[in-house]
Amino acid sequence: MKEKTITITIDEQGRSALDLEGFAGKGCEQVFDDFRGGDLLKVERKKLDYYSRPHVEREKSQR
Amino acid sequence: MSKYGETQTVLHEENFLLDALKEMGYQVEVHPQGAPLNSYYSEQESKVAHIIIRRAQLPGAYGDVGFVRQPDGRFTLIEDELDDHSGYGRKWLGRVQQIYKESQTLAVAQAKGYRLKGRQVVETSEGKQVRLQFVVRR
Repeated sequence: MKEKTITITIDEQGRSALDLEGFAGKGCEQVFDDFRGGDLLKVERKKLDYYSRPHVEREKSQR
Repeated sequence: MSKYGETQTVLHEENFLLDALKEMGYQVEVHPQGAPLNSYYSEQESKVAHIIIRRAQLPGAYGDVGFVRQPDGRFTLIEDELDDHSGYGRKWLGRVQQIYKESQTLAVAQAKGYRLKGRQVVETSEGKQVRLQFVVRR
């Protein structure tokens, strides 16, 4: 199973950068929201993997 | 890679705010109903705060420093106007937010089952950065 990682960088100005790798779709949003909490969102950018299809699920559904 | 975002820490949770201030070495007063702050000029209208650090613990400060709980639940910094330039303004608040956010992040990770893989403190031109890395296997 591919490892999913979350890297959070917190600076002395109270800003945080959240970097999620290996996630896709709804699961990605849930994890992002967990770590964002009630913080003010300044920048948000989806990456290529976000749009990737969950291959295992697709293979199962073709059977 | 899937998502990247930048946020500004908002102080919502009293327990993490108190922990952050204690970690910075302060003895903190908690006043659920609010209590007045002492100012440098006694004739100034007294400000009221719910969490207070008295001036005696703040080297170089002109007055007490406090946090006020706003109607939406956020805590905001309140201080003597003179202290914005005496080391207890935005920069000081940023350090409070940094410690708060790290504690909050670790608590969220533990509650949600994310495993801490590593913690690094990195020196940058803008000060220290704390980098936390978590892994998920599901």
